[in-house]
Amino acid sequence: MELMETIARLTAANGVSGDEFSVSAVAAQLLEPYVDRVETDHLGNVIGYRSCGKPGAKKLMLDAHLDQIGFVITEVMEEGFCRFIGMGVDQRMLLGSELTVLTRSGPITAVVSCIPPHLQNPGDNKKSVPIEEMVLDLGMSGEQARQLVRVGDYAAFSGETFALQNDLICGRSMDDRACFVCILYALEQLGSAPLDVDLIILGSTKEEVGGHGAKARTYVDRPDYAIAIDVCHAKTGDSKPDDRVSDLGGGPVVAFGSNSIPLFARRLVEVARAKEIPHQLEAVPAHSGTNAWAIQTVESGVCTAVVSLPLKYMHSPVEVIKLSDVRQVGRLLCEFVKQFDGNL
Amino acid sequence: MKELLKELCACNGVPGYEDEVRHCIEKHVAPYADEMITDAMGNLLVFKKGEKPRKEPMMVCAHMDEVGFLIRRVTEDGMFKIVAAGGIDPRILVGRRMEVGPQKVPGVISLKAIHLTTAEERKQAPGLDTLYIDIGAQNRKEAERYARVGDYATFDSRWVEFGDDRIKSKAIDDRIGCAVMIQLIQEGVPYDTWFAFVVGEEIGSRGAKAAAGRIHPRWGLVIEGTTAADIPGVAEHERSCFQGGGAVVSLADRGSVYNRDLVRRLTKRAGEEGIRWQYRASMNGSTDASAIHLAGAGAQAFGLAAPVRYIHSASNVLYWPDAEEVLKMARLVIKEAECDD
Repeated sequence: MELMETIARLTAANGVSGDEFSVSAVAAQLLEPYVDRVETDHLGNVIGYRSCGKPGAKKLMLDAHLDQIGFVITEVMEEGFCRFIGMGVDQRMLLGSELTVLTRSGPITAVVSCIPPHLQNPGDNKKSVPIEEMVLDLGMSGEQARQLVRVGDYAAFSGETFALQNDLICGRSMDDRACFVCILYALEQLGSAPLDVDLIILGSTKEEVGGHGAKARTYVDRPDYAIAIDVCHAKTGDSKPDDRVSDLGGGPVVAFGSNSIPLFARRLVEVARAKEIPHQLEAVPAHSGTNAWAIQTVESGVCTAVVSLPLKYMHSPVEVIKLSDVRQVGRLLCEFVKQFDGNL
Repeated sequence: MKELLKELCACNGVPGYEDEVRHCIEKHVAPYADEMITDAMGNLLVFKKGEKPRKEPMMVCAHMDEVGFLIRRVTEDGMFKIVAAGGIDPRILVGRRMEVGPQKVPGVISLKAIHLTTAEERKQAPGLDTLYIDIGAQNRKEAERYARVGDYATFDSRWVEFGDDRIKSKAIDDRIGCAVMIQLIQEGVPYDTWFAFVVGEEIGSRGAKAAAGRIHPRWGLVIEGTTAADIPGVAEHERSCFQGGGAVVSLADRGSVYNRDLVRRLTKRAGEEGIRWQYRASMNGSTDASAIHLAGAGAQAFGLAAPVRYIHSASNVLYWPDAEEVLKMARLVIKEAECDD
């Protein structure tokens, strides 16, 4: 699998939480070669099944979410501009940025207006502009805008994936499309190796708004075990010493805590050690901030673990990951699945 | 002219590093120029013979440089700290893609994740002193293989045509002026004309001083991209100019008082010719006219501009029909500037 190309393809698709069908279609296509069958449900969740063929086998779910952070149009203005609100976005990275408005007639480009310098007072540039006060320039008349854009339409960051130095790649929506690619990579590595568990591969929806897609799918598919594969914060130049961050290039991060059950997590670490897969540990006392939280308490409960891919600048249009980490996360998943007999 | 503008906008030309823009312009004007001078500052001065000679020189001027950055320090962990070359609001930088140094290495400016910040922190805008460009280098030694202190960095902002005939790109200020001048050189002029593609406007009209010092113009025409503040929340009288209003004609700004006789005469003619034009209803800012009208014995200057939204950001926005009116107006000025003499 050409990792960069696969990630670029998946991140190019739009799928703001609540309307993931475009990205689901791409994800389903990518998943199809590696499983017995693929389904897309009414929520946009993509589910692939790979049976081990053994009666009474336990079910292991590998989850990565397909939805991305974004914006909602709140007003279409007289002069061909829009007001908007963000879902999970730092308002300090918006002025002068390019957004894609997802209209019913398709995606269109727009620009977040900047404040003209002659209208600024001294000291203004030390304060960030509240997102409610920003406007989005559609570059058209009010009449054209009203025909094309509606209140409630979504918008997303624009921009394609590109490479930085040292095997790093950068772009929007690496969170969490890159982790879906980790799963694809694991499946490719797995090939036709015999397994002792049935695999459920979930590309889930609405994670960024509470894990709704994963919750629904857990109810339907009833896994015994689930691993949520999501991104975690990697160290950046402006990190504080006490920020909870991992190392980019350090390999998968295995979480320990109530939401990433230590017994399960320990097995993952044992596999990493045995197979000499570089890895990192993370203490997560309560909510892991991943789908494991939603999955864990469905019906009679699921045994969950969290494996993370280090990422810099999360929820920005320029999220950065390292391809070697994608491979190592994939390897860990593959090796774990290969040796897992359904008992911890 | 649109393709020309696209090619020009793709070039990088931070003040001091205008060579790439100049080479691109040279390529387009060389077959049409009667004389080409690259002066000591890096200005490109192109003489175009007209159908008739002119009694005293006319200098048409646009600047090649764009606002950008120089690298001031490379940190131990391989990040580039930068300083602005030209006026830039640091609030437009976070989340942007950049090109760094002569190899145009891709990089980004961002902040640590929202999850690691407090609501109070998010109300403060980070200053340029706390931001940095990340190209993915692991340490200073590696980063310095790509760029060193003093090298430039600029926005990597793709050209997008969107909305109703709008263009989004970096550096439309002032590649639009360069594109209009190239177009005029290629199509020919009625009278002898000097076209000056100048350096260093964004740091104080440095190149224009030297260019005017050589040409000693009697008439100066400056073609710019100027702030259109026609956005919601800005009072009508503070908008300066608006998109769709056509060519912007200056009366005065912080650097120049434009020649009122020329303005009156040429705007009247523009009206007769059906050229869309508007006054620049603002005194803010300054252009290369500030250098030109004071050169030698003094010149009569005419200030012409395209109304561009969000100049000095990665996302300059131009309404293409306005650019066409600027071209028509420039033609008119070259033809009629001295007709009363």
